[in-house]
Amino acid sequence: MSIATATTDINIGPYKIPSNGQNMIMNNYAQRNNLTIELVIPEPMMSNELATIQWLQKDYKISKLILCSIYQLPFKQERIDELLNNMKDIEFHFALEGISGKGIDFLLSCIKEVRMFKNARIINSKNTSWSKLYEMTRGQG
Amino acid sequence: MDIQKELTTGKGYSVFPIENIDIFKKLRTSFIEKINITNKLGDNIGQIRKKMAKMSKAEINKIMVNLLSFNDLSEMIINSCPTLIKSLCGDELFIQRRAHTIINVPGDGQSKQWTHYELMSGISPFSYVIWAPLHDLEDQGGVYYIDQKKSSEIMKKEEEEGLVNGPTVLNLITEQKPTLMKFGEAIIFNPFVLHGNVTFKSEFARIACNVRFQSYNKPLLQKNTDYLKYYKLV
Repeated sequence: MSIATATTDINIGPYKIPSNGQNMIMNNYAQRNNLTIELVIPEPMMSNELATIQWLQKDYKISKLILCSIYQLPFKQERIDELLNNMKDIEFHFALEGISGKGIDFLLSCIKEVRMFKNARIINSKNTSWSKLYEMTRGQG
Repeated sequence: MDIQKELTTGKGYSVFPIENIDIFKKLRTSFIEKINITNKLGDNIGQIRKKMAKMSKAEINKIMVNLLSFNDLSEMIINSCPTLIKSLCGDELFIQRRAHTIINVPGDGQSKQWTHYELMSGISPFSYVIWAPLHDLEDQGGVYYIDQKKSSEIMKKEEEEGLVNGPTVLNLITEQKPTLMKFGEAIIFNPFVLHGNVTFKSEFARIACNVRFQSYNKPLLQKNTDYLKYYKLV
Protein backbone atom coordinates (compact mmCIF):
# COMPACT_ATOMS: atom_id res chain seq x y z
CA MET A 1 0.00 0.00 0.00
CA SER A 2 1.57 3.28 -1.14
CA ILE A 3 1.18 6.95 -0.45
CA ALA A 4 1.50 8.87 -3.70
CA THR A 5 1.59 12.44 -4.94
CA ALA A 6 0.72 13.48 -8.47
CA THR A 7 1.72 16.51 -10.49
CA THR A 8 -0.41 17.73 -13.37
CA ASP A 9 -0.56 20.56 -15.89
CA ILE A 10 0.72 23.95 -14.72
CA ASN A 11 -2.83 25.37 -15.07
CA ILE A 12 -4.92 24.13 -12.15
CA GLY A 13 -8.26 25.92 -12.22
CA PRO A 14 -7.47 29.55 -11.37
CA TYR A 15 -3.97 28.66 -10.16
CA LYS A 16 -0.78 28.45 -12.21
CA ILE A 17 1.66 26.19 -10.36
CA PRO A 18 4.76 24.70 -12.00
CA SER A 19 5.35 21.03 -11.22
CA ASN A 20 8.24 21.72 -8.82
CA GLY A 21 5.92 24.15 -6.99
CA GLN A 22 3.24 21.46 -6.90
CA ASN A 23 5.77 19.08 -5.37
CA MET A 24 6.73 21.66 -2.74
CA ILE A 25 3.08 22.19 -1.78
CA MET A 26 2.36 18.45 -1.57
CA ASN A 27 5.59 17.64 0.28
CA ASN A 28 4.81 20.32 2.84
CA TYR A 29 1.27 18.98 3.24
CA ALA A 30 2.63 15.45 3.72
CA GLN A 31 5.12 16.63 6.33
CA ARG A 32 2.47 18.52 8.29
CA ASN A 33 0.20 15.47 8.26
CA ASN A 34 2.88 12.84 9.03
CA LEU A 35 2.50 11.18 5.62
CA THR A 36 5.54 9.56 3.99
CA ILE A 37 5.44 9.77 0.21
CA GLU A 38 6.56 6.61 -1.58
CA LEU A 39 5.51 7.32 -5.13
CA VAL A 40 5.59 10.50 -7.25
CA ILE A 41 3.41 10.35 -10.34
CA PRO A 42 3.70 12.86 -13.21
CA GLU A 43 0.44 13.17 -15.10
CA PRO A 44 0.82 14.68 -18.59
CA MET A 45 0.22 18.34 -19.31
CA MET A 46 -3.15 19.37 -20.76
CA SER A 47 -4.86 16.41 -19.14
CA ASN A 48 -7.00 16.13 -16.06
CA GLU A 49 -8.04 12.52 -16.49
CA LEU A 50 -5.68 11.19 -13.77
CA ALA A 51 -5.28 8.20 -16.12
CA THR A 52 -1.66 7.46 -15.17
CA ILE A 53 -2.59 7.16 -11.52
CA GLN A 54 -5.45 4.79 -12.32
CA TRP A 55 -3.16 2.67 -14.53
CA LEU A 56 -0.45 2.54 -11.85
CA GLN A 57 -2.97 1.65 -9.18
CA LYS A 58 -2.99 -1.96 -10.38
CA ASP A 59 0.69 -2.41 -9.50
CA TYR A 60 1.24 -0.02 -6.64
CA LYS A 61 -1.95 -0.39 -4.62
CA ILE A 62 -2.11 3.29 -3.76
CA SER A 63 -3.84 3.85 -0.43
CA LYS A 64 -3.51 7.61 -0.17
CA LEU A 65 -3.15 10.13 -2.96
CA ILE A 66 -2.11 13.75 -2.43
CA LEU A 67 -3.00 16.36 -5.03
CA CYS A 68 -2.56 20.12 -4.87
CA SER A 69 -6.20 21.00 -5.44
CA ILE A 70 -9.70 19.72 -6.04
CA TYR A 71 -9.41 21.49 -9.42
CA GLN A 72 -7.19 18.58 -10.57
CA LEU A 73 -10.14 16.19 -10.54
CA PRO A 74 -11.65 15.31 -13.96
CA PHE A 75 -14.41 17.50 -15.43
CA LYS A 76 -16.00 15.18 -18.00
CA GLN A 77 -18.67 12.81 -16.73
CA GLU A 78 -17.19 9.65 -18.28
CA ARG A 79 -13.79 10.45 -16.73
CA ILE A 80 -15.47 11.13 -13.40
CA ASP A 81 -17.27 7.78 -13.61
CA GLU A 82 -13.97 6.00 -14.28
CA LEU A 83 -12.33 7.77 -11.37
CA LEU A 84 -15.16 6.90 -8.98
CA ASN A 85 -15.08 3.30 -10.13
CA ASN A 86 -11.31 2.83 -9.93
CA MET A 87 -10.36 5.04 -7.00
CA LYS A 88 -13.24 5.00 -4.56
CA ASP A 89 -11.12 3.14 -2.01
CA ILE A 90 -8.24 5.61 -2.12
CA GLU A 91 -8.02 8.35 0.50
CA PHE A 92 -7.67 11.66 -1.37
CA HIS A 93 -5.86 14.65 0.10
CA PHE A 94 -6.07 18.13 -1.43
CA ALA A 95 -3.27 20.27 -0.09
CA LEU A 96 -4.42 23.80 -0.96
CA GLU A 97 -7.93 23.25 0.35
CA GLY A 98 -6.62 21.27 3.33
CA ILE A 99 -9.32 18.63 3.01
CA SER A 100 -9.17 14.85 2.80
CA GLY A 101 -11.58 11.94 2.51
CA LYS A 102 -12.47 8.73 0.80
CA GLY A 103 -15.30 7.22 -1.20
CA ILE A 104 -17.77 8.22 -3.87
CA ASP A 105 -19.67 10.78 -1.75
CA PHE A 106 -16.49 12.61 -0.80
CA LEU A 107 -15.22 12.74 -4.40
CA LEU A 108 -18.59 13.89 -5.70
CA SER A 109 -18.74 16.64 -3.06
CA CYS A 110 -15.30 17.86 -4.20
CA ILE A 111 -16.37 17.79 -7.86
CA LYS A 112 -19.55 19.68 -6.95
CA GLU A 113 -17.52 22.31 -5.14
CA VAL A 114 -15.28 22.76 -8.19
CA ARG A 115 -18.38 23.31 -10.32
CA MET A 116 -19.67 25.95 -7.86
CA PHE A 117 -16.39 27.82 -8.09
CA LYS A 118 -16.13 27.43 -11.85
CA ASN A 119 -19.54 29.12 -12.14
CA ALA A 120 -18.37 32.10 -10.10
CA ARG A 121 -17.22 35.24 -11.84
CA ILE A 122 -13.61 36.28 -11.23
CA ILE A 123 -12.20 39.78 -11.39
CA ASN A 124 -8.94 39.75 -13.34
CA SER A 125 -6.54 41.39 -10.92
CA LYS A 126 -4.06 42.06 -13.74
CA ASN A 127 -6.54 44.48 -15.32
CA THR A 128 -7.68 46.47 -12.33
CA SER A 129 -6.44 48.74 -9.58
CA TRP A 130 -7.26 49.35 -5.94
CA SER A 131 -9.32 52.42 -6.75
CA LYS A 132 -11.22 50.59 -9.53
CA LEU A 133 -12.01 47.77 -7.11
CA TYR A 134 -13.25 50.33 -4.60
CA GLU A 135 -15.46 52.06 -7.19
CA MET A 136 -16.84 48.65 -8.23
CA THR A 137 -18.43 48.26 -4.79
CA ARG A 138 -19.99 51.72 -4.61
CA GLY A 139 -23.11 50.70 -6.51
CA GLN A 140 -24.19 48.08 -4.00
CA GLY A 141 -26.39 48.64 -1.02
CA MET B 1 -28.01 54.56 9.75
CA ASP B 2 -28.61 50.86 9.07
CA ILE B 3 -25.66 48.49 8.85
CA GLN B 4 -25.80 48.03 5.08
CA LYS B 5 -25.67 51.80 4.51
CA GLU B 6 -22.95 52.17 7.11
CA LEU B 7 -20.87 49.59 5.27
CA THR B 8 -21.35 51.08 1.81
CA THR B 9 -21.75 54.85 2.26
CA GLY B 10 -20.92 55.38 5.92
CA LYS B 11 -17.88 54.57 8.02
CA GLY B 12 -17.40 51.18 6.36
CA TYR B 13 -17.71 49.39 9.68
CA SER B 14 -20.33 48.89 12.34
CA VAL B 15 -20.60 47.31 15.78
CA PHE B 16 -23.69 45.14 16.17
CA PRO B 17 -25.21 42.71 18.70
CA ILE B 18 -24.72 39.03 17.84
CA GLU B 19 -28.12 37.62 16.92
CA ASN B 20 -27.74 33.99 18.06
CA ILE B 21 -25.78 34.44 21.24
CA ASP B 22 -26.32 30.77 22.22
CA ILE B 23 -24.33 29.65 19.17
CA PHE B 24 -21.63 32.19 19.96
CA LYS B 25 -21.44 30.96 23.55
CA LYS B 26 -21.05 27.40 22.20
CA LEU B 27 -18.25 28.72 19.98
CA ARG B 28 -16.47 30.06 23.06
CA THR B 29 -16.98 26.75 24.86
CA SER B 30 -15.53 24.88 21.88
CA PHE B 31 -12.55 27.22 21.88
CA ILE B 32 -11.92 26.54 25.56
CA GLU B 33 -12.17 22.77 25.02
CA LYS B 34 -9.83 22.79 22.05
CA ILE B 35 -7.05 24.89 23.57
CA ASN B 36 -6.72 22.13 26.17
CA ILE B 37 -5.04 24.19 28.92
CA THR B 38 -7.93 24.49 31.27
CA ASN B 39 -7.78 21.50 33.61
CA LYS B 40 -7.53 23.70 36.67
CA LEU B 41 -9.18 26.77 35.24
CA GLY B 42 -12.58 25.43 34.25
CA ASP B 43 -14.37 27.53 31.70
CA ASN B 44 -13.61 30.90 33.26
CA ILE B 45 -12.54 32.98 30.28
CA GLY B 46 -10.98 35.62 32.56
CA GLN B 47 -8.69 33.04 34.20
CA ILE B 48 -7.80 31.59 30.80
CA ARG B 49 -6.92 35.05 29.47
CA LYS B 50 -4.83 35.73 32.56
CA LYS B 51 -2.89 32.49 32.07
CA MET B 52 -2.40 33.20 28.37
CA ALA B 53 -1.08 36.67 29.13
CA LYS B 54 1.94 35.06 30.80
CA MET B 55 2.58 32.39 28.16
CA SER B 56 5.65 32.30 25.93
CA LYS B 57 5.28 32.62 22.17
CA ALA B 58 6.01 28.87 21.88
CA GLU B 59 3.19 28.05 24.31
CA ILE B 60 0.79 30.28 22.38
CA ASN B 61 1.86 28.57 19.15
CA LYS B 62 1.06 25.19 20.71
CA ILE B 63 -2.45 26.45 21.45
CA MET B 64 -2.78 27.66 17.89
CA VAL B 65 -1.85 24.16 16.68
CA ASN B 66 -4.56 22.69 18.93
CA LEU B 67 -7.00 25.14 17.36
CA LEU B 68 -6.36 23.69 13.89
CA SER B 69 -9.03 21.14 14.81
CA PHE B 70 -11.64 23.91 15.12
CA ASN B 71 -13.11 22.96 11.73
CA ASP B 72 -16.57 24.46 12.18
CA LEU B 73 -15.52 27.88 13.45
CA SER B 74 -16.51 29.61 10.18
CA GLU B 75 -19.99 28.12 10.21
CA MET B 76 -20.44 28.94 13.90
CA ILE B 77 -19.63 32.63 13.39
CA ILE B 78 -21.81 32.81 10.26
CA ASN B 79 -24.71 31.07 12.01
CA SER B 80 -24.39 33.48 14.94
CA CYS B 81 -25.34 36.38 12.64
CA PRO B 82 -27.62 34.93 9.92
CA THR B 83 -30.08 37.81 9.44
CA LEU B 84 -27.38 40.41 8.94
CA ILE B 85 -25.40 38.18 6.58
CA LYS B 86 -28.48 37.26 4.59
CA SER B 87 -29.46 40.94 4.25
CA LEU B 88 -26.01 41.76 2.89
CA CYS B 89 -25.24 38.72 0.74
CA GLY B 90 -28.29 36.51 0.34
CA ASP B 91 -28.29 32.91 1.48
CA GLU B 92 -25.74 31.51 -0.96
CA LEU B 93 -22.26 32.40 0.21
CA PHE B 94 -18.60 31.87 -0.20
CA ILE B 95 -17.20 31.72 3.34
CA GLN B 96 -13.68 31.38 4.64
CA ARG B 97 -12.74 27.70 4.71
CA ARG B 98 -10.98 28.09 8.05
CA ALA B 99 -11.92 31.12 10.16
CA HIS B 100 -9.27 32.59 12.43
CA THR B 101 -8.91 32.77 16.16
CA ILE B 102 -6.49 35.41 17.32
CA ILE B 103 -4.74 35.50 20.67
CA ASN B 104 -3.02 38.78 21.46
CA VAL B 105 -0.68 38.82 24.42
CA PRO B 106 -0.10 42.14 26.25
CA GLY B 107 3.25 43.82 26.65
CA ASP B 108 5.96 45.44 24.55
CA GLY B 109 7.47 43.13 21.97
CA GLN B 110 4.25 41.16 21.69
CA SER B 111 1.90 40.96 18.78
CA LYS B 112 0.80 44.08 17.01
CA GLN B 113 -0.98 44.09 13.69
CA TRP B 114 0.08 47.08 11.66
CA THR B 115 -2.55 49.04 9.78
CA HIS B 116 -3.84 47.24 6.69
CA TYR B 117 -6.80 46.68 4.39
CA GLU B 118 -8.34 43.19 4.22
CA LEU B 119 -8.27 43.56 0.43
CA MET B 120 -4.49 43.23 0.53
CA SER B 121 -4.87 39.44 0.88
CA GLY B 122 -6.72 39.14 -2.44
CA ILE B 123 -10.22 38.59 -1.10
CA SER B 124 -13.01 39.99 -3.25
CA PRO B 125 -13.88 43.70 -2.88
CA PHE B 126 -17.41 42.42 -2.21
CA SER B 127 -16.30 40.53 0.92
CA TYR B 128 -17.11 41.46 4.47
CA VAL B 129 -15.34 40.57 7.70
CA ILE B 130 -17.00 39.82 11.02
CA TRP B 131 -14.69 40.12 14.02
CA ALA B 132 -15.80 39.29 17.56
CA PRO B 133 -14.02 39.11 20.90
CA LEU B 134 -14.68 36.12 23.18
CA HIS B 135 -14.95 38.44 26.19
CA ASP B 136 -15.50 42.10 27.07
CA LEU B 137 -12.85 44.43 25.63
CA GLU B 138 -12.15 46.95 28.35
CA ASP B 139 -8.50 47.78 27.65
CA GLN B 140 -6.50 48.71 24.57
CA GLY B 141 -6.35 45.09 23.34
CA GLY B 142 -9.02 45.54 20.68
CA VAL B 143 -8.85 46.68 17.08
CA TYR B 144 -8.90 50.24 15.74
CA TYR B 145 -10.72 51.13 12.54
CA ILE B 146 -10.23 54.12 10.25
CA ASP B 147 -13.41 55.21 8.49
CA GLN B 148 -13.63 54.41 4.82
CA LYS B 149 -13.62 58.04 3.71
CA LYS B 150 -10.15 58.50 5.16
CA SER B 151 -9.10 54.94 4.25
CA SER B 152 -10.06 55.42 0.61
CA GLU B 153 -8.41 58.85 0.43
CA ILE B 154 -5.16 57.32 1.68
CA MET B 155 -5.54 54.40 -0.73
CA LYS B 156 -6.00 56.72 -3.72
CA LYS B 157 -3.09 58.97 -2.65
CA GLU B 158 -0.79 55.97 -2.27
CA GLU B 159 -1.94 54.53 -5.58
CA GLU B 160 -0.98 57.79 -7.31
CA GLU B 161 2.47 57.35 -5.77
CA GLY B 162 2.66 53.71 -6.88
CA LEU B 163 2.35 52.33 -3.36
CA VAL B 164 0.05 49.97 -1.48
CA ASN B 165 0.25 49.81 2.29
CA GLY B 166 3.21 52.17 2.25
CA PRO B 167 4.58 54.33 5.06
CA THR B 168 1.48 56.57 5.27
CA VAL B 169 -0.61 53.52 6.12
CA LEU B 170 1.94 51.76 8.29
CA ASN B 171 2.61 54.86 10.39
CA LEU B 172 -1.07 55.26 11.24
CA ILE B 173 -0.56 52.64 13.95
CA THR B 174 1.02 55.17 16.30
CA GLU B 175 -2.07 57.33 16.81
CA GLN B 176 -4.93 54.87 17.21
CA LYS B 177 -7.35 53.98 20.00
CA PRO B 178 -8.95 50.50 19.75
CA THR B 179 -12.74 50.13 19.87
CA LEU B 180 -14.15 48.97 23.21
CA MET B 181 -16.74 46.18 22.98
CA LYS B 182 -18.77 43.81 25.12
CA PHE B 183 -18.96 40.03 24.81
CA GLY B 184 -21.92 39.39 22.52
CA GLU B 185 -21.04 42.28 20.23
CA ALA B 186 -19.22 41.94 16.92
CA ILE B 187 -17.91 44.33 14.34
CA ILE B 188 -18.46 44.02 10.62
CA PHE B 189 -16.32 45.91 8.12
CA ASN B 190 -15.65 46.09 4.41
CA PRO B 191 -12.25 45.23 2.90
CA PHE B 192 -11.33 48.88 2.23
CA VAL B 193 -11.40 49.95 5.88
CA LEU B 194 -7.93 50.34 7.34
CA HIS B 195 -7.54 48.66 10.72
CA GLY B 196 -4.99 47.11 13.04
CA ASN B 197 -4.11 46.72 16.69
CA VAL B 198 -1.51 48.20 18.98
CA THR B 199 0.61 46.66 21.71
CA PHE B 200 -1.20 47.05 25.00
CA LYS B 201 -0.76 46.76 28.75
CA SER B 202 -3.09 44.44 30.63
CA GLU B 203 -3.23 41.45 32.96
CA PHE B 204 -5.26 39.69 30.27
CA ALA B 205 -4.64 38.37 26.78
CA ARG B 206 -7.16 39.27 24.12
CA ILE B 207 -8.96 36.44 22.32
CA ALA B 208 -11.09 37.01 19.25
CA CYS B 209 -12.30 35.26 16.13
CA ASN B 210 -13.06 36.48 12.64
CA VAL B 211 -14.49 35.22 9.38
CA ARG B 212 -14.60 36.53 5.83
CA PHE B 213 -17.56 35.95 3.52
CA GLN B 214 -19.24 37.23 0.37
CA SER B 215 -22.27 36.57 -1.77
CA TYR B 216 -21.91 33.57 -4.10
CA ASN B 217 -23.32 35.86 -6.80
CA LYS B 218 -20.53 38.43 -6.50
CA PRO B 219 -17.21 37.94 -8.25
CA LEU B 220 -14.11 36.51 -6.62
CA LEU B 221 -10.72 38.19 -6.83
CA GLN B 222 -7.57 36.17 -6.05
CA LYS B 223 -8.87 33.95 -3.26
CA ASN B 224 -10.52 30.78 -4.51
CA THR B 225 -10.90 27.21 -3.23
CA ASP B 226 -7.64 27.61 -1.34
CA TYR B 227 -9.38 30.01 1.04
CA LEU B 228 -13.13 29.87 0.47
CA LYS B 229 -15.88 27.29 0.38
CA TYR B 230 -19.49 27.36 -0.76
CA TYR B 231 -22.02 27.62 2.07
CA LYS B 232 -25.79 27.97 2.08
CA LEU B 233 -27.47 29.67 5.02
CA VAL B 234 -30.48 27.73 6.28
